[in-house]
Amino acid sequence: MRSRRLIIVIMICFGWILGANAQALDSSDSSEYLIKAGFIYNFAQLVEWPPSTFAQPDSPIVIGILGSDPFGTTIDRIVENKKVRGRAFVIKRLKWGMDLKDCDILFVSSSEAARMDELIRSVKGMPILTIGETPSFARRGGVINLVLEDNKVRFEVNVDAAKQAGLNISSRLLALARIIPPSSADARKPE
Amino acid sequence: MNLQNLSIKRKLMLITMLTSSIALVLSSPGFLTYDLISFRHSLSQDLVTQAEIIGYNSAAAMAFKDESAATATLSALTAKEDIVGAVLYSPDGTMFAHYSRNSKPLPALLPDYAHGPGYRFVGGYLEVFHDVNLNGERLGTLFLQSDMRQWSDRARQYTTIIFVFVFASGFFALLVSSKLQKFISRPILRLEDTMRMVSVNKNYEVRAIKFYDDEIGRLIDGFNTMLSEIQQRDMALQRANDELKARTGELEGEIIHRRQTQEELLKAKHVAEDASRAKSTFLANMSHELRTPLNAIIGYSEMLEEETQDSGNLENVRDLQKIQIAGKHLLSLINDVLDLSKIEAGKMGIHLELFDISMMIEEMVATLQPALAKNSNTIQVHLADGIGVMRADITKVRQILFNLMSNACKFTDHGTVSVDVDRTAVDDQNWIRFRIGDTGIGITPKQQENLFKEFAQADVSIARKYGGTGLGLAISHRFVQLMKGHISVQSEPGRGSTFTVYLPAQVTIEPAELRYPEEPEEVSAESCEIKPDLDTILIIDDDAVVRDLMSRFLIKLGFHVVAAENGEEGLRLARQVHPLVITLDVIMPECDGWSVLHKLKADPELAEIPVIMVTVVDNEAMGFDLGASSYLVKPIDRDRLAVLIEKHRVARSSTVLKPVHERS
Repeated sequence: MRSRRLIIVIMICFGWILGANAQALDSSDSSEYLIKAGFIYNFAQLVEWPPSTFAQPDSPIVIGILGSDPFGTTIDRIVENKKVRGRAFVIKRLKWGMDLKDCDILFVSSSEAARMDELIRSVKGMPILTIGETPSFARRGGVINLVLEDNKVRFEVNVDAAKQAGLNISSRLLALARIIPPSSADARKPE
Repeated sequence: MNLQNLSIKRKLMLITMLTSSIALVLSSPGFLTYDLISFRHSLSQDLVTQAEIIGYNSAAAMAFKDESAATATLSALTAKEDIVGAVLYSPDGTMFAHYSRNSKPLPALLPDYAHGPGYRFVGGYLEVFHDVNLNGERLGTLFLQSDMRQWSDRARQYTTIIFVFVFASGFFALLVSSKLQKFISRPILRLEDTMRMVSVNKNYEVRAIKFYDDEIGRLIDGFNTMLSEIQQRDMALQRANDELKARTGELEGEIIHRRQTQEELLKAKHVAEDASRAKSTFLANMSHELRTPLNAIIGYSEMLEEETQDSGNLENVRDLQKIQIAGKHLLSLINDVLDLSKIEAGKMGIHLELFDISMMIEEMVATLQPALAKNSNTIQVHLADGIGVMRADITKVRQILFNLMSNACKFTDHGTVSVDVDRTAVDDQNWIRFRIGDTGIGITPKQQENLFKEFAQADVSIARKYGGTGLGLAISHRFVQLMKGHISVQSEPGRGSTFTVYLPAQVTIEPAELRYPEEPEEVSAESCEIKPDLDTILIIDDDAVVRDLMSRFLIKLGFHVVAAENGEEGLRLARQVHPLVITLDVIMPECDGWSVLHKLKADPELAEIPVIMVTVVDNEAMGFDLGASSYLVKPIDRDRLAVLIEKHRVARSSTVLKPVHERS
């Protein structure tokens, strides 16, 4: 009895170590974006858009991916057949210069880092949840920025930006996020 | 200590206390159980709510795989003391985040039994499984484990409280019952005190005090009623007792008085008995003393008469006859007086026998011939055909008839005396009717009144003229009565009288009065004249006169006579001569007649010899009891003696033809 319990504990520990290793191994490529795609889906669940954003009660949530697509089909598989408050998901792959106002969520790929400020300015005031993966994205006016810490995906939230976009972010989400203070958002630091 | 023998006071207190305690003890577990169950339910509901909150709060952390955030959320449970462990499991069942109070080990994988959300009690723990959802999407499972600390604390507290309450209420019940039991116990205890007073002091005047009008009150009423009843009876008993004592005293006095009277009476009785005995002795002596000289007078005058007649001196013969008649009259007088005294003393015995009536009458007529001849009377005898026999005391019947017939002869001159005998039936009984009639002087009605009374002759002059004692009819009357018969008279003065005697054909008397019958007399008086063969007669008598008279008489009749003057000599001579008959006197010096008779009958050689008792002692019964053949009372009737001896002589000479002691 006791020995069996011990074996189980050992096996669990072993499995845990294996799992951690696997996650660490894949972090550089697809597994990182698998997590990030899941995060995007989770954000949709914990963010409320202003009522005017959607034409219909069952209008889909449009996820726009700007720049080079790092997800492949991963994100399509994650949101496929999923609904949040009765709304399905639509994935749109966008290039610079394309109209962004139809998007509800805009993932800004790291490839667009150079044009970040311009982009932020262009969507300012629009009810669009902007998600970036560039280190200063949130500080510059993006709503959520995904960062890697200790091989784990974490996120920063710019509460002011969210307010400006008219988005209501759940306190549960905020509890997990690193909040970017408004003052630091205004004071632009040279890189 | 026996519980049943406790005092009522204790019992009441105990009952009250036990009842309240039992009620409390029985009801409190119910309340306790109910409370604990509902408390457990609310505990589980609380824990489920807790799980919902934590699940909600940790949903985002689960969604973003933020282990530290989840752990931080779970750590908030530190404030909840009862929660010993909390685990968040990933959908694949692995542990995502956990919290453990006191480093309690927790299941690393979602337990198998957690099939779905809900709560269960396992091993003293309350466990809750709750699905963690984000917008309806299951992100994992929250597991909470509570040791139900509040519940066990509460159970412990409640148990303590119940114990305290049971004891407290028991104590209060004791207090209250010790006060209230007095309502019941006090009257009973007082009643008991009263009863003890009554039973120990026997004081029935005390009364039990009544407190309330309940059952005990009625019991006390009943007790008091009983007490007063007892008191009354006690008093009544006392009175009766006193009265009884007084009565007893009176009775004792009376008894002493009576005893004295009794003693006096006894003394008087003894005196009377002595007097009576003296009278009887006197009478017996007198009869003996009178008869003995009479014996001599009559005997010698008869002898002299015969001898004088032979010598032809007729003048002397008449004188001698007068002496004889006077002597015989005196003898009959004495006999009558003796008979009457015997009757009056109730000593007159009766001995019954069967006898032929015609033969008796014939014999009497023969005997009566001299009396008939005296007054030149004729006799007419008429017997009914087949008159046959009767059962009675023949001696007495003969005496009755002889009295009547001799009276008829006496009071009739040149007339007729008639004798009629027949049978009649009255009241389903056979009677023999004797009618003795005459044509004499008759009796006046006035005389008839006293006819059957003692010493009452019709007239004093009659006694002088006709002689007689006046006892004859009285004795006849008594004899008739003795045999349960009836006697009456019909008479007309100057024309004659008729006496009628009714006697039962079968006289019955009490067995005590029975006597042995006399020998039937078959030999008529005439046969005396036949000269007998020479046979020896033994005379035993101490009186020389008797010996002389009897010897002369018997020798004259042709017998050979041997005489003995005492019993011893008599016995000796009897053995020597073997006489035909022995005559035996009773009163003799030394050896009396009874013992001689006894010895004769005891000797086989002499037992056959007939013994004729010749005595002044009138005790026929004794004589017959001892075996005497006949009984003659002195003075001796010579004719009768002759008849008896002749009978024995004939019997002896023809022993082969007929038995000696035949009875008809």
